[in-house]
Formats: sequence, C-alpha cells, structure tokens
Amino acid sequence: MAEAHQDQLDTLPKFLRERGRTLGERHVAMRVKDRGIWKCYTWKDYLEKVRHLTLGFVKLGLQPGEKVLILGENKPEWFWAELAAQAAGGVAVGVFTDCVPKEVLYYAQNSEATIVVAHDQEQVDKVMEIKTQVPRLRKIIYWDPKGLWNYKDPDLLSMDRVLDMGKAHEAQQPGLFDQLVDRGCGEDVAVICYTSGTTGLPKGAMLSQRWLVDGIREWAGVDGWDRPGMEYLSFIPPAWATEQGLGIAGGLVAGLRLNFPEEPETVQENIREIGPEILFYGARLWESVNSMVQARILDSTALRRWLYHRCLSVGLKVADRKIGKKGVGLFWGALWWLAYQACFRALRDRLGLSRAKVVYSAGGALSPEIIRYFLALGIEIKLFYGSTEMGVVSIPRTGEIRPETSGRPMPWAEVRISEDGEILVKSRYMYSGYYKNPEATAAKLKEGYYCSGDFGYLDEEGHLIVIDRMEDLKPLSRGRKFSPQYTEVRLRFSPFIRDVLVVGGQERDYVGALVNIDLENVGRFAESNHIAYTTFTDLSQKPQVIELIREEIRKVNRTLPEHARVMRFVNLHKEFDADEAELTRTRKIRRSFVEERYRDLIEALYSGQRELAVEATVTYRDGRQGVIRTLISVNEVI
Amino acid sequence: MKEMDQVGMQEQVSVRVLEIKGLGLHFGGLQVLTNVNLELKDGEILAVIGPNGAGKTSLLNCINGFYRPQRGSIIFRGKPIHRLKPNKIAELGIARTFQNIELYTGLDVLDNLMAARHIHMKRGALAGAFFFGPARREEIRHRQVVEEIIDFLELEPVRKKVVGMLPYGVRKRVELGRALAMDPSLLLLDEPMAGMNLEEKEDMARFILDVSELKSMPMLIVEHDMEVIMDIAHRAVVLDFGNKIAEGPPREIVRNPRVIQAYLGEEEESTVG
Repeated sequence: MAEAHQDQLDTLPKFLRERGRTLGERHVAMRVKDRGIWKCYTWKDYLEKVRHLTLGFVKLGLQPGEKVLILGENKPEWFWAELAAQAAGGVAVGVFTDCVPKEVLYYAQNSEATIVVAHDQEQVDKVMEIKTQVPRLRKIIYWDPKGLWNYKDPDLLSMDRVLDMGKAHEAQQPGLFDQLVDRGCGEDVAVICYTSGTTGLPKGAMLSQRWLVDGIREWAGVDGWDRPGMEYLSFIPPAWATEQGLGIAGGLVAGLRLNFPEEPETVQENIREIGPEILFYGARLWESVNSMVQARILDSTALRRWLYHRCLSVGLKVADRKIGKKGVGLFWGALWWLAYQACFRALRDRLGLSRAKVVYSAGGALSPEIIRYFLALGIEIKLFYGSTEMGVVSIPRTGEIRPETSGRPMPWAEVRISEDGEILVKSRYMYSGYYKNPEATAAKLKEGYYCSGDFGYLDEEGHLIVIDRMEDLKPLSRGRKFSPQYTEVRLRFSPFIRDVLVVGGQERDYVGALVNIDLENVGRFAESNHIAYTTFTDLSQKPQVIELIREEIRKVNRTLPEHARVMRFVNLHKEFDADEAELTRTRKIRRSFVEERYRDLIEALYSGQRELAVEATVTYRDGRQGVIRTLISVNEVI
Repeated sequence: MKEMDQVGMQEQVSVRVLEIKGLGLHFGGLQVLTNVNLELKDGEILAVIGPNGAGKTSLLNCINGFYRPQRGSIIFRGKPIHRLKPNKIAELGIARTFQNIELYTGLDVLDNLMAARHIHMKRGALAGAFFFGPARREEIRHRQVVEEIIDFLELEPVRKKVVGMLPYGVRKRVELGRALAMDPSLLLLDEPMAGMNLEEKEDMARFILDVSELKSMPMLIVEHDMEVIMDIAHRAVVLDFGNKIAEGPPREIVRNPRVIQAYLGEEEESTVG
C-alpha cells in the first residue's frame, strides 16, 4: 500500500516534502510581517517546521485519524499545524477566531479533537474554559506566548516546545517522518470545515486530500495561477474552505508565495506592501474599497476630481464594451491606456491592486456595478460560485466577465436546474460527506446530484446566474417569487441609498421598498441644488429627494424581471439603527423585526394611500427615548 | 522562562524601590502635601487615590522632579532623588505618563516611541547624521526594542499614524508605550484610564497587568476609578488635602470610614449611599 503511493504526489504533505527537496533554500515559501519586518520562510524552513511539529504531535500521542483543532488568525503556524496534523495521519479542523467558548466546545466535541492548537491568550482562554467538557482533549498548544507567562496548566504548552520535542524525536527515529508521509493517500480526509447551516447546528464537511491536491491543480490551471512564486496575501480565515483551497493547497500545489498580514487591522496596509497577484475579497470588502475611493475622491481637489471622472468614464466605456463582447478597439484601447497612466495606475497602487492578475470574490451579494467599476480600472473580479460541499462549480473565465453571472461551469462540474429553479451540481471535486452525519449527507443528494439550495438559472450562453438562497425567496401573489436580497444589493449601490428593505407577500401584487437615504450624499445633493432642510426626516421627504430616489429605483428596475420590479416606495424618516436592533452589528437588516416595526408603512405601500402620519420612538445611545412625529409620503415608481 | 525566574528572585528579596519620608510641599501659603510617607516594593502596583485637589498629581510631580518639595526625602533604590532635575531622574529609570497626554502630536507613533529611547542613545548627532556603522546598528537595536513594545501594546495598526489624528484611548496607550520605551525600573501613571470608555479601560487594565507580570515592574498609579483600582492594585494610599488618611489593600480601603467621608462628604450621606 505504502509503496504504491510513494512516488505519487497525492497529498499535501507529499507536496511539501517534494517542494522542500527541490526548491529548498532557494525560494521563499511564506512571509509574515512581525515586529514591522517581513520575515521569510524558505521551502526548507517550511518543511522543517512541519517535520518537527509532526513528530512533536506523534510524541504527544496523536494517532492516525485523530483530530487537531486549530484556532487562530492567518499565520504560518496555522499552516504548519494543519500540515503536521495531516502528515501524522490526523485531520485538521479549523475554527473561526471569533467563535465564543460555547461554539468552540461544540466543534471540539463534535470532531472529538485530541489536540487544540490555539493562537494566543484570547483563544487559549476559550479552550481552557471548556477543556473539562471534552474528554478526549489531551493537549493545548499555543504559538503566541503573550500574556500566557503565568499559566500553569500541565496540558498547556508552547509550539516552540512541541517543535523541540519533535526535533529530539527525529534524532531518535530519523526516518519516521518520511514513513508517516508515505502512508498518506488521496482518499484520506485532510480537513473538516464546519459550515454554518441556516438551520440547525453547523455540520462538518470532510474534504479529502484529493479535493485539495487535484482540485486545486485543475483550478489553478484553468485560471492561470499555476506559475510558482505568485504573490498571495492570506487573510481569509483558513477555517473556511476557500482559504483551504487558495492558501493551504494553493501554496503547496500551485506554489503561491504566501504572505501573512501583521494583524487583521493592518490588511489594507500590508496588501499595498505586497502587491498580491492573486487575491480573494469578500463582497463586503469590495464594496468598502469602492466606497472608500468614492469618499476620498469627494474630498480631493477639483482638478483631481475632474481627472478621475474623465478617466472613469473612459474606463466604464471600455468595461461596457468588454461586457458587451464588442472588441475594445484601437481608439478606446488607446484612451484607456491614457486613463490608466493618468489615474488608474496610481489608484490601483493605493489600493494594493497594482499587480493583481487573478481576483476572486464569491457569494451572490456583490453588486454588478462594483464588478463593472473594477473592470473599468482593468481588474476582472471573478465572482465564482461554489460551496464547501460542492467545491468550485463555476468561474467566469478571463475575458468573459459578465457582471450578473458566475461564469460557465468548470470542466469538472456539471450543473442542472431543477423544476423549481434549484441549482443541482455533480462534480469530480466534491466533499466526502458530513462528519458523523450520513443522514444529512444523503439528504443533500438527489439522483447523484448535490442540491445546492440556491435559486438560479443558466443563460443562453451557458453562464450560471445565482439569484438567492431558495429559502430566502419571497412570494408574491399568483405563485410568483422574487429575491429581496437581489434587488436590495443593486439598490444599495446607489450612493444616495444607504439601506433598503424590499417587501412583498403572498397576497400582494407587486414589490415595495422602504428606503433609507444616505444622509451624507443626499445632503450634498441638497446643498448643490439649493434645497434647504433641517433634519434627516425633513430631507427625506423633500419632493426633489423623492424624485432622486425614484430615478435610482427606475434604473435598477430596468435590470429586474417585470414582476420583481419595485412599484412603490417610501423614504424612511429615520435611519436603521443597530442600537434599536434593526440592524445586526455587521449592518445586516433584521428583516422580520423591521417588517413588524414598520408594518403600518408597509401596509400603506399596498393600500393606495398617498401619505401616512408616523410616530416612532427612538432610543438614543444613553438609553433615553424620544418620539418623532411626521408625515411620510408614499411614492409610486412609474 | 527567564522572566519567571526573575519574578521568583524579586519576590524573595522584596526590595524597597521607593521610599518617601515626611514629604511636605507648599506653594506660598498653600499647603499641598503634608508629611506624606509611603513605600513601594519591587513588583508592586500601588494606587494613590483621593478627591480632586488632594495632591495626587503633585506627589507624582515631586517624585519625577517637576516640583521641589520643601520637606522630607524621596529615596529611589537607595539614592536620594528629591534634589535632582527631571532629566536626571528619568535617566535613573523613572518613567511617567500624564493625565493630559503629553506626546509629540505632529510625529507618528513610531517616532514618539523612538524619541523615548533617546536617553539610551550613545552616538552623537554627527554620527547619527551620517548614519553608518555604529550609529546605524544602534538605531536598529532601538527600533527592535520599540517594535517589541508596539507588539506588546498592539499598536501595529497605528505604527505609522500621526499621533494627533489618533483617538484618545489609543493616545493613552501610546503614552504608556513611550514610558515603557525608556526601559524604566519604576513607572508612574497619572490617571491612565481617565476619559476612556469601558472597553478601552479593560484593555488598559490588561496592559498594565501584563507589564506588571512580565517585567515585574513596580508602578505608582494615580486613578479615580475605584473599580479599576480594586482590580489591579495590590495596595492603595488615600490622600485628602495633602494628608495621607489611609493605606492598605483596596478592598479594605473602600470600607474605611475616613475614606468614605473624604470622598462623599458627610457620614450620614455615605450611609445612605
């Protein structure tokens, strides 16, 4: 058995050993910013750390198949711990750093972890709190000793000590590491990623070595990041399957050079220092980069503003030609080059995107306008579609960016749409099932296809368009359905709309919207149009402002199917506020709570009223309450 | 490991770091401190509390040489310091922070901390100007010390930010960082938590405890917030109108009737409260 797999590079530890042997000290595998300096680890260092850590784990009694829970920010130590767990025949289990002790307890119990590798005092404290409730947990290993100087627990030890133990063990049994690595094969479970199900407790999706090794090799080939030494900034949580693919496997299989930011708060700064060539931003991050640029431009000098807007209109024109599959043409190509030299180059440098070649995002929440904006700067955001269970299903290929779509299915994946519009997937690189939960695994399979739970369709060119989660679709009368989130994301792109709640209902004929104007930008609009106003409430009800919002809604309506268009709306008299539980702390609307709270207004949207008197209590930061009384106009979008 | 051994050693010896005997200070006819006696042992966190105008900050100003007391003596590690200039006292290893933050607001965090290393810099201005060989090596060494402090106080995200642009709570932390950068053997903190919100207070308390644990640094803290004092101080001294009216563990101090009276005025009110 061992012989058969020996020469085949079918596991990550084998890849590491191979890279360590061939690239050795000549190439840098990872960099981490520490004490203000980028510290380098060569492939030889990477291999050595993992070798010692593996043997340290063995010395601590880690048996094949046992789980190592890893709890920390993106740091080389995280990656070493995962590789060492796999090399020793174990399985890595990633946990998000913002988990509370109760969640850590669930992951530790559910995965039957025997060793926990934790980042620092904060994470160690969580583990200490729940330690006694996890019978199989033997050791807790930390890598950042700050604040842990006086912890006296015998089961707690530093990673440096474990590395030393491994080194000593190696001296006794020199060939052991190689034997252990040889024992691994492609079907081994490499890592368990917990997916936060919308219903019930999180489930542990098992990913095999083959998923990581072959899956990533093919992906890198399709998207052209298989050239070793491309710079990558690792900051999305490794507990998430995407970072398992890009960071952990991408680093080993595709040879990406991994860079670790100093702190989560310094990512923006560190990105600029590294200038990554391949990167992944979540939808929110792209949005915040975009609004940061817009805000900075507004504060800039008139000349710069003028230049920026001239260049951007050229950029957008070129972006539209690319999207419309018309060739860019010599004329526009030349103009874009000028715009790039005059503006985009400096702008991209500021954002750390000057060298960005392969750029990803995922999830349905990214507005097409954002994709168009970055395309104007010459950055193709590839909004891919996939999940922990399905792996990567579809990616827009280079030169085929369509802002609305997630591209064509990958060569290894087959997509089918069920009768009620659910996306079904069959893929060569799927997960190996949920850990200790075959019922849940079976429930997701229908005739050999994985049921994604996502609503979407394939367009005439075979591009996949993902609208929303099936369960988040809202009904309209006559059995029609629409996706509030889909519309809201698009409306929110307007600089004048800060938040919006889109509503419908079984017995309602059309879609309505509660709009939160953006005080800053609408205020600026009022100023330049000589509209006098006193308060947020007053501003929101000005006829010119209502007309402004109406026009924004009209624009979005044109991109929506007829039945999903917003027909009536109100401008809310106050902003949604997290202090009043209308928003979560991450600024997501608490839908049902808000719908209940503004029930009268929502009813007015459907009753044909023109105006509604509203009285609302407002809770201030210090807990006092006040009352706002006002007339709100109910507006139609024609 | 090394630090742990140090802690053990110092616990055994328990050296007196600071000894103040019969300290008296007046400005003209105004008596600010009257016959104040106190002692600070190595590794100890001593809180000085008292109502407004009790003379707490004046006491700190006497220790670090801003004020010249008319009576009494201040002995720092066996050496009388009450006749020395502030810069000499700083060189002896007494660092402090201020109630109203005294940083170079136009410089960034890194430069503020590097400035504190000045007392340890040996190369002259000329060598520094050419910046090679020894001067360069020295700069690197000091930068390392400063980077350790940045790491310790979690100041990485603001390393290159101008201090004047930082929020208040962060500036307070930078000030603590600057005091630490002097590599002191006694730390005087003047209201380190003043004007902070709860979260910032908790962070600051943790940093102070970490400093105390890691370096077994003796500290004298002037603070208003009794909850903070109860959490972090080993011992507290209460001043009222320049007189020391009580001394002991914080938990006993808060029950002391004289202290309650000084803080709340009349005895009846305090029993009601």
